Amino acid sequence: MADAGSGKTGWRATGHLLGLVAPGVIWIVVFLVAPAAYLMSIAFMTNGSYGLPELPFTWAAFKQLAGYGFLGWSPANLYVVGRTLVQTVLATGLVVVIAYPVAYYISRAPARLRPLMLLLVVVPSWTNQVIRAIGWMNILAPGTPLSDLAAALGLISPHMGLYPSQFAVALGLVYNFLPFMVLPLYAVFERLDTAQIDAARDLGAGVWGAFRHGVLPQTLPGLLAGTVLVAIPAFGMYVIPELLGGGKNLMLGSLVARQFAAASNWPFGAAAALIMILATLAGLVVLRRLGRRLGGDAGVML
Amino acid sequence: MWYALLVLLYAPLAVVVVYSFNSVNSSADFVGVSLRWYRALFADDTILAAAWNSAVLALVSSMLATAIGTALGYGMYAHRARRLGWLIWLIYLPIIMPDIVYGIAQLSFFSRLAAATQIFDLGLGTMIIAHVSFQAPFVALLVYSRLVGLDPRLFDACSDLYANAWQRARFFILPTLQPAIVAGFFLALTLSIDDFVISYFTSGPESVTLPIFIWSAIKRGISPEINAIATLMIGTVLAAAAITLAFQYVRHRQSGE
Repeated sequence: MADAGSGKTGWRATGHLLGLVAPGVIWIVVFLVAPAAYLMSIAFMTNGSYGLPELPFTWAAFKQLAGYGFLGWSPANLYVVGRTLVQTVLATGLVVVIAYPVAYYISRAPARLRPLMLLLVVVPSWTNQVIRAIGWMNILAPGTPLSDLAAALGLISPHMGLYPSQFAVALGLVYNFLPFMVLPLYAVFERLDTAQIDAARDLGAGVWGAFRHGVLPQTLPGLLAGTVLVAIPAFGMYVIPELLGGGKNLMLGSLVARQFAAASNWPFGAAAALIMILATLAGLVVLRRLGRRLGGDAGVML
Repeated sequence: MWYALLVLLYAPLAVVVVYSFNSVNSSADFVGVSLRWYRALFADDTILAAAWNSAVLALVSSMLATAIGTALGYGMYAHRARRLGWLIWLIYLPIIMPDIVYGIAQLSFFSRLAAATQIFDLGLGTMIIAHVSFQAPFVALLVYSRLVGLDPRLFDACSDLYANAWQRARFFILPTLQPAIVAGFFLALTLSIDDFVISYFTSGPESVTLPIFIWSAIKRGISPEINAIATLMIGTVLAAAAITLAFQYVRHRQSGE
C-alpha cells in the first residue's frame, strides 16, 4: 500500500509525495542543510584580513583550536572543551537525581492531579531562557540573602555574589533542563509494571536489588530519552554560561559565538562548531548503543 | 519534597516579578511598591518596537511552519510504505543540532548571500525563515504521530464513498487532524517565543525582538526595567498556561460525561 487507500501507484504517487513534502524539504535543505554545509566548509578555510573566510583550504583553524597560536601552545581552548564536558555531565547527573523521584512522585499521585502537576513542572520552561537566567541573576547577585548566607558560611568571599560562577552555570543548567527529564521519566513510570518489583522482592531482593532489577530496567528508555534531551542541548548551551558564568567560565558555545562577533575569526568558530556537532553525534551513538546493551527499547530513542 | 521543587521552579520567576515593582534600582533591597518601571517601559519606543517585532516573528513563522509542517507530516504518513529514512533524518536534523551551531550557520550563510545578491539581508525576514526551519519539523512529527494513531481503514472508507482527493482532504483529513494542527501551531509559537540564540544570530539592526533587547541591556547589569519587561513576558506565558489548563479541564469534563 503505497498510498493510504487511494490506490495510486508509480509516478502519480511520487508526484503526490513530492507535492506534499517538497515545501518542507526544500525549506530545510536550503535554509538549514546548505548553511550547515557552508559552515563546515568555512572550518577548513583561511581567516582573511577582515575576519571573513578565504581560500585556500587549510587545517589552521583546527590547529588553533588545539592550542597552537602565535605565542606557542596553550591549553586554554582545551580547558574550554573540558569544562563544557564536565558541566554537561554534572548538569545531566543532577537533573537525573532530581527528576527521577519527582517523576515517580507525580506518577503515584491521584490521576486527576497529574496533568496539573506536570503542567506546573513544564510552565517555567515556556518562558524565554534569557528571562529564566535573569531570575537566577536576581537571586544570586551580590548582596542578596543567598549570597550573604554563602559569604557568612565562608563559601565565597564577602561582597561577592554567587554569580557569576561555575556554580551559577550548573544551577542554571539544571533549572533549564529539569522538565526535559521529568516528562520522559513520567511516561515510563506511568506504565510501570509493579508485578516485577513484587517478583524481585519475593525472590529475596532487598530494596536496592528490587530497584536494580525491578524498576531501573523498566525506566531505562525514559532515562535515555531524557539524557538525550538534556545532555545535547546542555553541551551546546550558550545563554546560561554567557549570562551566569561571566568571562572566566567560558563554555564551548560562547567560544564559537565570539568568533562570529567581536573576535571575528569565522574559520576558528566554524572549526569549534564542527567539533561540537561531532561530539553531539558521538554522544547520540553512545547513548543508543548503551540503550541496546542495557535492554532498553531502541524505538524510544530518536 | 514536591513543595521544595515548586519553590525551586518558581522562585526565579517570582523574584523577577517582585523586583519589577521595586521603587529603587536594586536587586538587594526591596524598598517600596512602585509602577515607575512599567511607566518607563510604555514610554520607550525601542521596547514597543521590539515587542511588535517579537509578535510578528512568532505569528508569521508559526503560521508558515504549521502549513509546511502539516503537509510534510501528512506526506510522510501517506507514503510511509516507501523508504523515507532520509526524510526522517532531515526532520531530526534541526531538532538535534545545537542551536548555537544553527544560529551561526545561518548567520554566515545569509550574510554571505546578502553580500552577493542584495537579498536575504539579516532582519525580520531571515529570522522568520530560520524559525520556520526549526518549527516545521516539530509540527510534522505531531501531525505524523496523530495519523499513525488512526485506523488506516478510515482512508479506505473515504474511497468507498467515492470521495475525491479534495473531498477527502476537506471532510476527513483536515477535520481529523485539526487537534494536531492546532497543537502544532501552539508548539511552534512556544518554540519561537522561547528561542533566543537563533533569533540573535539571524537578526539585523532593525529587527530587535524583546529577548534580544533584554540580552543587550543585561550586559550592562539587571535593572528593574528589565525585570518589568520580563514580568510582562512571564505573565503572557502564565495566561497561556491557564488557558491550556482550562481547555484540558473542559475536555476532561466532556469525555467524562
